[in-house]
Amino acid sequence: MRAMGGPYQGAKLFFAFFGLFLLVLALVSLPPRERVLTVGVVAGSWWGVPEGEPYERLDAAIARFEAAHPGVKVRYTQGIRKGDYGEWLAEQLLAGQAPDVFLVPEEDFARYVAIHALTPLSPLAAADQDFSLEAFYASALSAGEQEGTLYALPIECVPRLLFVNRTLLAREGIELPREDWTWQDFYDIARRVTRDTDGDGEVDQYGFYGYTWLDAAVTNGAEPFGPDGTAHLSDSSMEEAARFYLRLQGTLLGHVPRAEDFDLGRVAFRPFDYATYRTYQPYPWRIKRFSSFAWEALPLPRGSAGYASPLSVLCAGIAETSEQKDLAFAFLKELAYGEETQRDILMHAPALPVRKSVLQEATEEDMAALFGETTGYFPPERLDTILEAGRPEPRFAGYEEAMRLADQGMRRLLESGTVPRNGLLQLQKDVTLLRTRQGAR
Amino acid sequence: MRSVAVAREADARSLFRMYQLLALYNTIVVLLLGGFLAITQQKILAAGEARAFLAHLPNLPMAPAAGFSATVAALLLLLGAGALYRSDRFQGAARHFYLAVELLCCALLIRSLDFSYDGVILLLVADIVHRFEGRRQRVLLAGAMLVLYAVSVYSLAAFQNLVVPFDAYAAYYAPNVRLLFTVLKNGASALNIVLFMLYVIMLVQKKHEEEERLRALGAELAEANVRLRAYAIEAECMAETRERNRLAREIHDTLGHALTGILAGIDACLVTIDAAPDFARQQLLKIRETAAHGIKDVRRSVKKLRPDDLERLPFRAALAHMVEEYAEATGMEARLTILHYPGNLRAEEEDVLYRVVQEGMTNANRHGGAKHVSITLSAERGNIYLLLSDDGSGCDTVKAGFGLRHMEERLKLVHGSLRYWSDRGFTLEAVIPERSEGKPAEELTEQVAGKEEKR
Repeated sequence: MRAMGGPYQGAKLFFAFFGLFLLVLALVSLPPRERVLTVGVVAGSWWGVPEGEPYERLDAAIARFEAAHPGVKVRYTQGIRKGDYGEWLAEQLLAGQAPDVFLVPEEDFARYVAIHALTPLSPLAAADQDFSLEAFYASALSAGEQEGTLYALPIECVPRLLFVNRTLLAREGIELPREDWTWQDFYDIARRVTRDTDGDGEVDQYGFYGYTWLDAAVTNGAEPFGPDGTAHLSDSSMEEAARFYLRLQGTLLGHVPRAEDFDLGRVAFRPFDYATYRTYQPYPWRIKRFSSFAWEALPLPRGSAGYASPLSVLCAGIAETSEQKDLAFAFLKELAYGEETQRDILMHAPALPVRKSVLQEATEEDMAALFGETTGYFPPERLDTILEAGRPEPRFAGYEEAMRLADQGMRRLLESGTVPRNGLLQLQKDVTLLRTRQGAR
Repeated sequence: MRSVAVAREADARSLFRMYQLLALYNTIVVLLLGGFLAITQQKILAAGEARAFLAHLPNLPMAPAAGFSATVAALLLLLGAGALYRSDRFQGAARHFYLAVELLCCALLIRSLDFSYDGVILLLVADIVHRFEGRRQRVLLAGAMLVLYAVSVYSLAAFQNLVVPFDAYAAYYAPNVRLLFTVLKNGASALNIVLFMLYVIMLVQKKHEEEERLRALGAELAEANVRLRAYAIEAECMAETRERNRLAREIHDTLGHALTGILAGIDACLVTIDAAPDFARQQLLKIRETAAHGIKDVRRSVKKLRPDDLERLPFRAALAHMVEEYAEATGMEARLTILHYPGNLRAEEEDVLYRVVQEGMTNANRHGGAKHVSITLSAERGNIYLLLSDDGSGCDTVKAGFGLRHMEERLKLVHGSLRYWSDRGFTLEAVIPERSEGKPAEELTEQVAGKEEKR
């Protein structure tokens, strides 16, 4: 029973339907006509230190990029503070308006990889002839990797340093340690300076504040967690670090110094990061930050089994939803790989560049411009060494929870006054169990 | 016939209405669910809880507006492709294309709803099943159900890392509201399954009823056949009765006429025989001629008539009586053997057999000059056999005379056949097929006869 209209009716309907189908497909996949690249950034410094012109370096990088890519406009939303950035970014992602290129908060990195919000970069990097991953510090690069896949490029990084109260050491007749100093040096000084200075029977001068078991572990080459999340809490280097930390704590004679004690000049050492050093080192800040004493920054002391330097890395990635990934990668490359942009970071940002050549080619004059005339502690090659030995915190999914459990367990062990081998094994077991449960979720 | 077509159409219409209900229900659920997901996402955005929300997701969901648009577009395409696929107008590649589009849209739709609702698969299954008939349909239905089951299990297991669970959206709301949404969602799926089951039941019922209707139609046809056969027999009987009446009239007319003529002629002869013997002789010649003519007429008519014996006696007795009487009259020795008496002989068959025996004996006596004749009747393997053999002279070449030809014609009327040959005398063999299914016809004939009587 054929409908009226002959044999062509079916064909017509078929083609009409097919056309409609194609139209819908086309509408869905049609790229926007204007070439606008959006970027997700924060106002000012990522590292929680004041910075005068929040977008100066970014604007310069954008100007260079736009000059090299005519017809492309780079837009970013102004005025997002670091504290609001995580939520802002999540909202953009959820609303389907993710910027093409965006800074990835450390704590969200694993999550965004898991929900496929970040584009794997290796194919884009491989396609670019003028780009090489070799140019980056491997330590910084590893911060953007997850299980062997690169999801974000490092933009800048900040190593952890130990601030030293020079006035205090001079008063105690102790020489400023050399930059390759060790745990033993650290321990000796801490033991010597811990005493009652005004004779009231109360200890009022301490060796250190804020140095943690994790600092000890990392500087001994130990890794509490591998990049894939495997716990190594009972390794011998870990055990050694825990023992050293216990010994170091013994120098405090049971006292617990507070943060103000360092500010008031009563503590010899306190860890800070490079951003703080870089911000407060130049002249006016220098006086203002710690008014009662002279201070300097040192690399963290080396452990006996190995050495690594705790490193914080700021990464940026490309949204999986971006419709112009090649262009986005070009801009990401400008930020992470552009020599001028990277040099701008060294010279003007409270952070260090991730491109090796920038530090390697920096001159003494550059450093003098950076840190003033004060010290010779951080010549470019020393910063280079610190970054080469840098170790960013791992960023696997569930890191925070696992680290919290490890920290609690380790603190409990340390509070008991001994670090028994089986205690570490038990902790290792607990954390592994947690990881297994996380994996099952 | 027409009522069957109407019933079938009514069935198809009610099935289609069920399908429409299923489609409408799915449309409403999909739109509500899509709306719920989009609105919830919008609310999460407005409340500044995007980061906490994303922390619980295995995958980045689509933007609210885009997601809802994708849902609606996939739904419309799905319904459109489904309607075209169901339409009778398309065959072959075009239909496969529509099915492919439908499958694709179904997948897209489920994906756009983050696997929260996979009930549209049932709509797809309904479409596929609708298109296939017979055993393939059953296999297909089973296959489709298996796939559905696999999808519902698999979507939970395999896509767990890709799909934003419904609970993540529901978690945004207060616990009691969350419970309500979850219950509503699960209820919607359950109701969908109920509707689908109804559809399948109706489909199966429709098939069943169609079969039933076909069976009823077949029975009706068989009954009509039986009636037709009975009618044919009745018509035959009536024709025979009519013929018999005509013959009776004819005999009355011819025989009566002849006898009346003969009587009148004899009377005239009696008067004139002494006065004018020549005239009387002439008269007698005329009378003889009339008588001869009358006999000729009678013979002709009597042949059409059923023998008197057969009217009075059962066939078997009539046959025996006739054989005996004839043997006595002619002095020929005749023996009748009945090996296996055939059941349910029809009247006309009895007539034919009776006549064959009568004619055969007459032939044996008249043409063969036989002293002995043996007659055998039997029913075997669905045939009734009648054998007549005599010890007469027989003949080398049998020339079928009126008698034999007449026998043949009679036998043909009851689908029988005649063979004859000469070896030690002359042998006749008449065969009539036995009516094995004769019973109902017999009954029907009786019924018909009964009706006839009432009239």
